[in-house]
Amino acid sequence: MPKVDRPAGPIENATVAPPLVSLKGVWKVFESVPVLRGISFDLKAGEIHALLGGNGSGKSTTVKILCGAHKPTAGTIELNGQPQSFDRPSDAHAKGIYMVPQEPHIFSNQTVRENLLIGLAGDARAYAERCERLARELGLTCDFSTCAGELSIANQQLIEIIRGLLRNARVLIFDEPTSALTIREVKSLFGQMKKLSADGIGIFFISHRLNEVLEISDRVSVLRDGVFVLSAATATLTTNDLVAAMRPAGSAPTKASEHVRSSASRSSKPVLEVKNLSGKMFHDVSFNLFPGEVVGLAGLVGAGRTELAEAILGIDQHVSGDVAISGQAAPTRSPRVCQRLGLAYVPEDRHAHGIFLELPGAQTISASILARLGRPFLSAKREGEIVAQFVQRLGIKLSSRSQLARTLSGGNQQKAVLAKALAALPRIIILDEPTRGIDAQARQDVYRLIHDLTDQGVGVLVISSELAEIVDLSDRILVMYRGRVAEIPRSQAGIDQVSAAVFGMAGEAAA
Amino acid sequence: MNRIVKNRELLVLVILGVLIVVIGAISPNFLRPTTLINIVNSSLFLLLIAIGEMFVILTRGIDVSTGAMAGLAAVILGVSLNAGVPLSIAIVLTLLTGLAAGAVNAVGVTAFRVPPIIMTLGSLGVYRGLMLLITGGSWIETIPHSIKSVAAFRVAGVPALIWISLAIAVAVAFALKNLKQARYLYAVGDNEEGAFLLGIPVKATIFSAYCLSGLFAGAAAVVFVAQIGFVPMQTGSGQELKAIAAVVLGGVSLSGGVGNSMSAVVGALFLTAVDSMMIFLKVPGFWNNAVGGAILLAVVFIDYRIRCAVRDQQQRARAREMDLSTLEKNNPAAGSASVMGKAT
Repeated sequence: MPKVDRPAGPIENATVAPPLVSLKGVWKVFESVPVLRGISFDLKAGEIHALLGGNGSGKSTTVKILCGAHKPTAGTIELNGQPQSFDRPSDAHAKGIYMVPQEPHIFSNQTVRENLLIGLAGDARAYAERCERLARELGLTCDFSTCAGELSIANQQLIEIIRGLLRNARVLIFDEPTSALTIREVKSLFGQMKKLSADGIGIFFISHRLNEVLEISDRVSVLRDGVFVLSAATATLTTNDLVAAMRPAGSAPTKASEHVRSSASRSSKPVLEVKNLSGKMFHDVSFNLFPGEVVGLAGLVGAGRTELAEAILGIDQHVSGDVAISGQAAPTRSPRVCQRLGLAYVPEDRHAHGIFLELPGAQTISASILARLGRPFLSAKREGEIVAQFVQRLGIKLSSRSQLARTLSGGNQQKAVLAKALAALPRIIILDEPTRGIDAQARQDVYRLIHDLTDQGVGVLVISSELAEIVDLSDRILVMYRGRVAEIPRSQAGIDQVSAAVFGMAGEAAA
Repeated sequence: MNRIVKNRELLVLVILGVLIVVIGAISPNFLRPTTLINIVNSSLFLLLIAIGEMFVILTRGIDVSTGAMAGLAAVILGVSLNAGVPLSIAIVLTLLTGLAAGAVNAVGVTAFRVPPIIMTLGSLGVYRGLMLLITGGSWIETIPHSIKSVAAFRVAGVPALIWISLAIAVAVAFALKNLKQARYLYAVGDNEEGAFLLGIPVKATIFSAYCLSGLFAGAAAVVFVAQIGFVPMQTGSGQELKAIAAVVLGGVSLSGGVGNSMSAVVGALFLTAVDSMMIFLKVPGFWNNAVGGAILLAVVFIDYRIRCAVRDQQQRARAREMDLSTLEKNNPAAGSASVMGKAT
């Protein structure tokens, strides 16, 4: 069995009893793409084991296999040394594995009591007393007859924990439990986790926040590209070890030197000014974007990046602060207003927000410029010309004007969405995860396009969780962590510094 | 605030009470017991269909074939009685017809994953077509009088059908509150993914909701035939939309997970009462649909505004909490440092 080599530590031979749960040589392949490549790890009673990894490293797949939502392609799950297989989450529940999901699965219209007792086998009343005791112990102080939808996320998480304990869970999985919590709530959650582990419950703790991992866990395992690259006792590790382990191993996508940066542009007026913008997921964000400049906004999923972009666009109206687009203050914004002022947005979720899948690809490209295609009847000829121009410029593999967008590859779909944004001739373009899920060639095309745009004086804001991409593309780098944005000085904007900042460790990584 | 949202039945009932008093003041005849009993009596058909519809909407589905299922069941009742089948067996057959019709929808929605609106729109056409095929397109008349005696039977001066229907509604309300399976209905409508992860049998729950919808449509058919004594071909036509309107008016949320059988009762009573009021106000009957629709829109709109206000308030409170916490974080003495200190 291929085992991942891990540094031999005291934990290796500390226990004689078999671990609560272990995965052995687990592979998971989605549509011929391996996501997990033979991972092996375990969890002992009373242990808090942190699973770390960047976006797309295979963390959530691992967790889904553990809790029965996915079946492994190869390899085994063992509980107390016995091989098991789970067909559905309730099988895992029955064996004492319970996941507290990132977003608690709460029935918001039902009472707290109903939420706690639902789905339990046997007479629910028999659980009532245990339920109240657990609630008391865990500090869920609310009235059981209140509507669960009114509770804070922290209390909803407590409901999930109690649900797990009512099912006699011996293994609890916390999937990024702190991402929606306030500092106070995090503190109390960690107290509970310590208490649970003292009772012999094993806990998997998944988080992006290195300081939290170092604080709470007994052992850390780092996943990268579907294999464990590090697994060691937390006490032996430093932030730098974790940052180094998580750093993408691949080479940089394009060399910054290939592109001649125009430094003169900084002297002109900014095309996009954001001042003290605050909203639900971000606070007091200020930055400027100058013509001909690429600003990279790095941050993890959930750091508030997309929320920020949507606030600039006016999709989310519940924000405070000022935005000026092309030098014009825009107190009331909507995507339509932004487009008129010369701001284009390429959204993160291409299928949901970017493309019209069931229509010809050409119609996605021309969707932003219908007003220019003639009135009252659209000119098919002009549309054809403009579409052909972008198809050629971006190298979109569109065989005919009637080819449906659905039939295009991911990369070509993304190019079509980019073409839609570019057709409106923007002065500012916000690209949210522009290379997610597209192949290497298309990726290079997108990078080249970004350079072309800056040469023409367009200001480009690139939002990405791929740090190598940010570092190589950007003239300036902004990092977003828990809703706050900070600029990293160019002189020290190496990939280590950026990744440290992205994980909330600004200034702590070695230069 | 939440109490208002939750007690939409009460709100609608109060509006209905006020309307009754107002109409009574204008036209005292309206307040005579026979009039009021007649209103309740004529609401029973809609009421039973609406209870069935409620089960489906609780799971976040929709059933637009309820009227057609009631029509088909009514045809079966008429035909079997005319064929000399004893009354009790004919009634059982009718209920089974409804149940079977509902089960077809249930299979389509759960096993074949047809979207509910498409499945039930399709079966609506099929069931209406079956009605015509069975009868050759003519009304079923000359039904034995035994069926009408069911409607004529009275207890304490009130038709027994009213007592039975209300008893059913109360029993359903009790069951919805106290049965595990009922909790599943709400859970599936509220958060299907969450319900699945908790091991709740999601498909079986949805399946039974569509079956119950059919069963109640069958019961409504029995009431209908008993009350009027014959089966016109348009029996139940349009009732599916009226039933949806009734349950929504009574507080069942189309996004699932909220409401109970009292919502259906109140909604059906309200819509039927408004029709009668129009007659007493001597408003031409053409107005009935328009007024009923306008009332529905008004109630739903007001309700929506209230819900939005409640949600915004909660979100603002949450944002303030987050802001405070972030400020705290920026002050190392009070913020993250103490977290580290405490837990380690």
